Formats: sequence, structure tokens, C-alpha cells
Amino acid sequence: MPMDVRLLRIDSRLLHGQVTTNWAKVTKVNRILVVSDKVARDKIRRTLLIQASPPGIKVNVITVAKMIGIYHDIRFSSLKVMILVEEPEDAKRLIAGGVTVDTVNIGAISFDKTKVMVSDAIAVNDVDVAAFSWIHKKGIKLDVRKVSGDNSKDLWHALSEKELV
Amino acid sequence: MKLIQMSDTLLIHNAKGVTSMTRREKIIDYLASHGTGMIEALTTSEVAEGLGILRSNVSKELNQLVREGLVNKQSGRPVRYWLNTPGIKLDPIEEKKIESTKIGFAADKSIETKKVFTPFSKRKGNTFESMVGHHDSLKNQVEQAKAALLYPPHGLNTLIIGPTGSGKTYFANTMYHFAVDSDILTKKQFITFNCADYAHNPQLLMSHLFGYVKGAFTGANEDKDGLIQQADGGMLFLDEVHRLPPEGQEMIFYFMDHGIYSRLGETAKVHHADIRLVCATTENPESSLLQTFVRRIPIIIQLPAFQQRTAHEKIQLLEQLLTLEANRIQKNICLNEDVVQALIGSVTYGNVGQLKSNVQLVCAQGFLNSMQDKNEIRLQFEQLPPNIKDGLSHLANNRHELGEITKLLDTKMIIKPDAQKKYTEVDSYELPYNLYEIIGDKAALLKDEGLDKSSINNFIMTDINLHLKSFYSRGKLDKAENKLNEIVDQDIIDLTKRIQKFLVEEEAYPARDNFIYAMSLHISSFVKRIQSGKPLRQISKDLTSMVHDYPDELEVAQKVKGIIEDSYQFPIPESEVYYMAILLASLKAEPKAGKVGIVVAAHGKSTASSMAQVVTQLLSVDNITSFDMPLEMSPKVALDGIAVQVKQINQGNGVLLLVDMGSLSTFSSKLTEKTRIEVRTIDMVTTAMILEAARKTALIDSDLLTVYRELREFAGYSRTTEKVTEKKEKDTISNDDGRQKVIIAVCSTGEGTAKKIKELLDKILIDNLINDLKVIPISVVQMKQEVQKIKKNQRIVAATGIVDPDVSVPFVPLEKLLQDGGESLISLIEGMELELDRNVDFEYSDVLTEEIAQKYLGQYFTFINPKKITGILWKYCDFLDRRVQKKLTNAFKISLIMHLAGAIERILTNSEMAVSADELELMKKDSLYSVVQQANEILQEALNIELGKNEIYYIMQLFNTEFQKN
Repeated sequence: MPMDVRLLRIDSRLLHGQVTTNWAKVTKVNRILVVSDKVARDKIRRTLLIQASPPGIKVNVITVAKMIGIYHDIRFSSLKVMILVEEPEDAKRLIAGGVTVDTVNIGAISFDKTKVMVSDAIAVNDVDVAAFSWIHKKGIKLDVRKVSGDNSKDLWHALSEKELV
Repeated sequence: MKLIQMSDTLLIHNAKGVTSMTRREKIIDYLASHGTGMIEALTTSEVAEGLGILRSNVSKELNQLVREGLVNKQSGRPVRYWLNTPGIKLDPIEEKKIESTKIGFAADKSIETKKVFTPFSKRKGNTFESMVGHHDSLKNQVEQAKAALLYPPHGLNTLIIGPTGSGKTYFANTMYHFAVDSDILTKKQFITFNCADYAHNPQLLMSHLFGYVKGAFTGANEDKDGLIQQADGGMLFLDEVHRLPPEGQEMIFYFMDHGIYSRLGETAKVHHADIRLVCATTENPESSLLQTFVRRIPIIIQLPAFQQRTAHEKIQLLEQLLTLEANRIQKNICLNEDVVQALIGSVTYGNVGQLKSNVQLVCAQGFLNSMQDKNEIRLQFEQLPPNIKDGLSHLANNRHELGEITKLLDTKMIIKPDAQKKYTEVDSYELPYNLYEIIGDKAALLKDEGLDKSSINNFIMTDINLHLKSFYSRGKLDKAENKLNEIVDQDIIDLTKRIQKFLVEEEAYPARDNFIYAMSLHISSFVKRIQSGKPLRQISKDLTSMVHDYPDELEVAQKVKGIIEDSYQFPIPESEVYYMAILLASLKAEPKAGKVGIVVAAHGKSTASSMAQVVTQLLSVDNITSFDMPLEMSPKVALDGIAVQVKQINQGNGVLLLVDMGSLSTFSSKLTEKTRIEVRTIDMVTTAMILEAARKTALIDSDLLTVYRELREFAGYSRTTEKVTEKKEKDTISNDDGRQKVIIAVCSTGEGTAKKIKELLDKILIDNLINDLKVIPISVVQMKQEVQKIKKNQRIVAATGIVDPDVSVPFVPLEKLLQDGGESLISLIEGMELELDRNVDFEYSDVLTEEIAQKYLGQYFTFINPKKITGILWKYCDFLDRRVQKKLTNAFKISLIMHLAGAIERILTNSEMAVSADELELMKKDSLYSVVQQANEILQEALNIELGKNEIYYIMQLFNTEFQKN
């Protein structure tokens, strides 16, 4: 039995207040995995993230390759995890690597010059759009919600409306 | 007649005779030369200091001399002594009498007439003189404190920094007494507040400090003054000030600057208070928490750790602490040299505070053991608790230190109650009641009930341990024991404890903490085995031949077997005795977790020693030694000299040799050959590098190779040496070569229990998402061979278990593993992973921003302001990036910026590094030279700082090594 992934979330800020208090409680996970090659190698961010962990839940910061490795390893099957990634591309890589989910939750993707705003909190560029399209084609729902209590919006709709896909 | 002549010649104080004088004669001589009349009379302390003899001994001799009429004493405190008639001739009979009393002064049991407790006379301004080390280790600190208090008009606020138990509270208290004696306080008021007390509730803390007004919060029914108001005119001592919440810090700073504050619930700052503020903290002054304080408080007093005190002071401190106990008991305390050494050596991390706790413990024990003796209590080495006994071997590990201390000791030390030694009222190490009374009462009570002596002792020792919240957090051990509980049944742990007690008490066989873990695991495994009816282990040939080398252990193991058989009522097979003997031998053989030693060797009369000294002082470490090489010294002599240092500093974990240049860097293999100690060399030594090395080696279980590798990374410009060996190591140690990575777990047999440890480790690994490590349990018996076998096609990355297999990988002892739930092991492993990625690190972050550089600068440098300087250094890098042929990598830019910041700091602190004239000449021919010079103009312009030729040399070295690399 593979690992129980209760939430796969894209959020540029990775682990922060909303996520820690709300999602961890709602999904009842016992582990938060921050998956990012960049962050896993950045000692400072890594430490900061681990310190931000909510009480009683352990946070690990690992690379995409490692995530895929442990996902399929039965030794880790007792974990109930929430996966946090920074960008859609990482989510795509995880799903391509075999991590099975039916929904990808999107919190916030920060804006920069290369991106256009899709909603008040989500900005995308070509790479992001390509990744989202790939995920959508796999039949996986793209659920936009900051916290679990929000009304779910479909990112695919928003992308279509903006004529980005 | 001969006798008279002898004493005659000795009484004439000629320098030649001094060395052969007895203590008594030295004192007479000293008095004769310093205080011939009543006016020049000397105090005991003055004589003690002048001669470097322990105060108690001087006091004894003086009293004896007074009794004999040779010396007069002036009544009043402190008592002053002067010689009756200089050059006095002794009556031969008298002389003989003196001789006879001198031989065994320990026999002089009678306590002098109980001293009348007169209050400590207050001579103005001498309050600090009762502080041990006031003219030595604490000289500066005392000067600082006096200056802070006397500074007009209201003194300066002071921050006392020092490790746990180094005497911060005591120091603050002494400052207060000094202030009182100097009449600089308008109100005699010393208020202590520990900021940690309410740290979880900032509001409550603030209301305590500043007070509040009615209605400020629910329950504030009336106006209330805070501690600041109470302390008005006096002194306020804020302990653990780093725990003050930010809002509290702000208000305190405002108060420091303006002398006014507001109570909670008030809007305007209208209250005024005149306070001498003394703060204290254990934090590292460089920690971010403290930086604000360091900036805002003008006087920073750094108290030394116990280890940094001189040998003389250590003994004095011990004496003083023993005197406190003697005062309480009102008996002499009599202890042998080895007990003194053990007590001094028993101080591991807790400094004077720990010494105090230990003294209390052994005195309580001694008190109990010599209850029937009215006059004195004897402290005997055999009776000391094991952790204090260990102190002797701690001390013996450092031969130099042991020598220093032993030189100052007599075979016996007698401490008498002394009313002069008063102790501070505020001291967390002080017990709130008189423990000795409690012991006495209880013993009497138990005796009345007809208990025999040994059970009384048993009862009361339990009591003492309960009362004396011993310095050692007992929780720590308990925690490990709980963990052990998960693997081994409690009754086996109890049995093992009984065995440990038996070994220590009956057999005088050393059994330390690790004994419990190793032995209980072993017993558990074979008891289970026997109970489940599984076949017994065969005795292999290896085993028997090995056991023959350890006849003592075999004998002890036989006895242990007896105990186990008694307890379980079934016969234990002979084979287990062999296993146990081996286990005992390996536990005994295990070296203390030794640090990697550091030897600094550099050309120049005192270059190496002064660098080493700075670092030793800064970090208070004991694993650094140095070797100075005047230029005319031949390499051969240097090699021999360094070899001696290497041997001296080696603690079994290898030695790191830091050299400045040239021939020195080729020494490591020769040294290893010569000393049979693993040596690694790094050249281009700087103070910063030694600091880094000291810091790294201070971590427990850091091994030579790791430190070596990290250090080369640290400076980034010392890659020229040992290039070849480095490459070889990379293959075996750090490169992922596709072989399975393994952790070896050393257990007694490699079966049964070993499996449990493997399970435990696997759990830890899984919990930390580590999926690429395998745990292999091995038996201690064939450890060496098994390790070789594993090494063939697997890569050992770490080791744990009951003994260190002595493979050059990090080792985490089993008890530590159980204690911290694998934390230390995991951080080791993760550290290795990061190591591999280190080079990728910077390059990966697409853009290296100034911000990152600033962040790093802020983390590593004390004196410079990263905000101001980052931009300038950034420009400097850009300039060079454009002017040199190669594109600079991000990693190199960072290390260049760090190096430049270091160079600037060196200039600001006047600690430039040395470069030989030849090297400087050579450097000027390099085309890079003019480029760097031009770049330096950027610094000159922006900061008005000129980098000298030496610094240019190092910057160029940095570039050259970087270019060689690619």
C-alpha cells in the first residue's frame, strides 16, 4: 500500500499560518512534507520551515526525487501526509513519478514579471500553465482554496476564462 | 646543635635557600622580609598570595607559630601577623617539638576555640578582594565592575555574560556590596528578578517589573509599584535577561536611556527611578538575542568558565566552598589529595555552581559517614559517588592541568570553619535549609528505632540524593532509561543496576553509565534465549583466545554470572561468561569521547601561540596547542617539536594540524608515522580558521576527517595540500559510489538484542524519511573482522552501539541514541547529505542576491554592520568579476565577500595576518595584483579602509586557488 497522501498543495509560501492551522487539522495528517529541490538544499529556508511546524506534526523538507522514492516504499506506508510544493511543475513531477491524488489544491502562487494574474492570489506563466494542463489531462481536479472553508473554485475554469488554455 | 645551624641559615632569607625551604620556613622568611613590625603586619591572605601557598595552610602554620611565640598576632579582623624578632634562634627542644607537630598536622584534631562570628569588617572598597581570582582571572572583570559602579554620575548599566554556574549572581551580589561599601547607593536595596520566571507570560512579567495602575487589566484593583520602583536608589539584577520578551526589552532600554518609565495601563512615561541595572545571561554574546543588549549596555563583563581559571584559583574556589560547608557543620573537613583532584575534575560543564553541588553532595555523604566524630569529617576517595570519582580520570586526562594542580596540593587538606567566609544570600545553588541538621536528626531518629548502621546510611543517602537536586538533570538519565525500558524489561534493568552496584562497591571494578545499557541488553537477550529453550551459543575459538587476554574480566564475569543465577534461578551456561568477559573488557576499553586535537604551527616567535591563545580564551576549549617556529629552526627540529604537541593533545580521535605555509604542510604523513596518530594538515592558518576548527571539534563525536573536510570548505583557499589524498578519500567517504550505505550497530553478540536495536534504528530512520540507509548489527566479539567484511562492498557512514568500532565514521553511543531519540544520529546523517550538496547550494539559487550575502554576513560577523557593508562588497565583487578572465561562480563570490568582511574586521581590530616578505615580492609580479589594488580603491573610497599588502596577498590566494580548481 503506498503512502496516504491526504493533500497535495501548491503554495509559493509553502508552510504558513493558514496551512498549519487549517489544513493540518482538517486533513488529520501526521506529517507535512515540503517537497522542493531548491528548498531542500537551502539550509536557511529549510530550518525556518521546520521550525514553523505545527505542534505535534513533524515537517520534513525533501527533494522531488526523494518524495517519489519514499512514496513507493512500504516502510513509510503508515504516514498520513500533506505535501506542499512551491510551483505547479513540482506537482506535475510528483504525479508523473506515481504519486496518486484526485485533486491538487492551489493556495497562492506569487506574482513576478513573467506571470499574469489568474485570480487574486494566483499568478501563472507559460511553464505553470503547461504543468496545469498536464495535470488536468490526467483527470485531476485543480481546486483553488486558501483554507478548507473557502468555496472551491476550479482553476481550469479560470484559466479558460482568461484564455490561457 | 646541627639543627640550630640549619634553621639559622634558613632564616636568613637568601634566594638560594628558598627552594629547599619547608612551608613553615617560607612563611617565616616572608614575614621577616615583609612585615617586621606591627605596622607592616600581614594578613593570612597576603602571605598566602605572596608565597602561592594555600590560605588554609598558611593559616595553620601561622597559628602554630603564634602558639610557639615566634609570631605575634593582632586581634581584630582580618587578623594580622608579624614576626616576633627577626632572625630568632630556636631552642633545640622547641625545634624538635615543632618538627614533631609538623609531620602529621592532620593529627591536630582539636578545633581552635570556636570562633566568634564577627561581621565581616568592611574596609572601604575591598569587597572584591574576597572573590577568588580578583587579582588574576577576574582582574579585568573586577576593574570593569568597579568602573561601571563608580562612573559618574549614576554609574553604567552592566551586562554579565558567563556560562551556567560561572558565578554571575555571585558577581552581581558582590558588585552590590561594593556599591554599598562605597556609599554610592542612596538606598540599600538589591532586588533580583529572573526574567525566565514569567517568560511565557510577558504581561505578567511586565507588571512585575514596571507595576500597573488600577484598571489596567482584570484584577488590577489598585495601583501597584513594580520592581523598578522598589529598587529605586538601589540595584536591580535581571537574571537570564535574554528571556525578556521584546516589549519588555523596549521598555527597559527606554528606561536605561531616559530613567523614566510607565506602569502598565499608563500612557505617559512619568515615573522616574534611579537604579543601578545589572543584567546577566548565559547566552553567547554573538547570538542575535543578545545583540541588542550588547549594543545598548556599555559594560559587558565576561566571566570565565571554571576550566579557564588558574589551577591556584580552582583550589581556592574549592577551599572556599568547603569552608561554607565546614561553617554549616562546625567541624573540620579533612580530605586527601585525590579527593581534591576528583572534585576539581568533576566539574564538566556547570562551572563553580556544579563544583558547589558536588561539594555539598560529598560533604553530606562525609557528614553521614563520620557522624560519631565530633571534630571532623573525612572525605575518602573510595566513598565518593561514581560521577565524582570519574573526576579524577577527567583531570588525569589533561596531564598538564593535573600537574599544575598537584604542585599546589599537600597530601591532605584540612578545612576549618571560618566565620570570615560568608556566602551570598542569593544563590540558586544554595539549599534553603540546613541539610546537615536534617541528616543528623534523621540518623538519630533511625538509630532510636534500632536500625543498624548500614541501613541507616542507606536510608539517608537516598534522602540526600532526593534533597540535593543534584546539578545533573536527573531527567536526562531517566529519559534514556525509559527508552531502554521499551527494549528491556524493567526487572532486567534493575538486576543490571544491582550488578553495577556490586561491581563498583565490592569489586572496585569501573562500571559507568554505558554499563547499564550494554549489560542489560546483553542479559535480556540471553535470558530470553534460555527461557525460550533455544540452543545455546557455541563458544568459538576466537572467543576463547580473546578471553585469555582478560583474566580479570573473566573473574568478574564469573561473579556476575552468580548474581544472575541467584536472580533467575536457572543455570547460566559457561559460554555466557565468556561473552560477558569480552563485553566487560570492551566497555572498559572504550575511550572517553575524545575531541579531535588541534595543533597550530607557524613561523615566527609567537605567531602560533598567540593565535591559539586567542581562540582558547574565546571559546574556552582545551584541545588546542601550538608550536612556534622561529625562522632559523630546522624542519627536523620542528617536526619533532610538533610531534610532541600532537601526542600531547591527542585524545584518541586524531589531530588536526593547522600550519601557515611551506614545508609544514607536508608533515602529516611523517607525523602519523612518528606518533601513530592520525594527522591531517591544513595550511594558511588564520585565527578565524582556528576558531572554526575549535568550534567544529568541540562537538562531541566530530571526527577528524569530517572536521578536516569542512574546514577546507570553510576558508576556501587552502586546497593546495594533500590534493591527492583528498581525491582518494572522496571515493571512499563522501562520494555516492552506488554502494549500499550502512550504519553499523555494535551489540554484545550481534543477535537477539541486536535485532531490537536494529528495529529501533529502523524506526528512527523511517521517522526521518531516510530510505537509503541499511542498519547492520554486528557483535563486539568479532567487530574488527565484521567491519572489514562490510567495508568490502558496502559503505559505512555512521556507527552506533555499546562501543565505538573505531571506523573513521561518526559514532553515536547507544545511551545517547536512546536519550535523544536518534536526533544526534539523524543530524549527522542529514549533515552528510547536505555536505554532498554543498557545492550545488549557491549555484542552485538562480540569482545570488545582495540580500543573501547580507544574511550570511550578519550570521558570521560581529563587528561590522552587514547592512552598510554588503552593497560595497558587492560592488567590489562585480568589479573583479568584470576584470578577471574567468566568470566567478556564486559560491566563490560568497566566499570572497565573507573573506573581505573578515579582512575589514581584521583591520578594525588590528589583527592583520602575517605574510613573508618573499611571498609579497612574488605577488607583485602577478597580473592580478594591480586589479586587486584597483578594487581596493572601492573600499578606500566608501569606508576609508585601506587593505594592506598582506590582505591583498590573501585575496589573490583566494583567486588563484579558485582558478586552479577549474
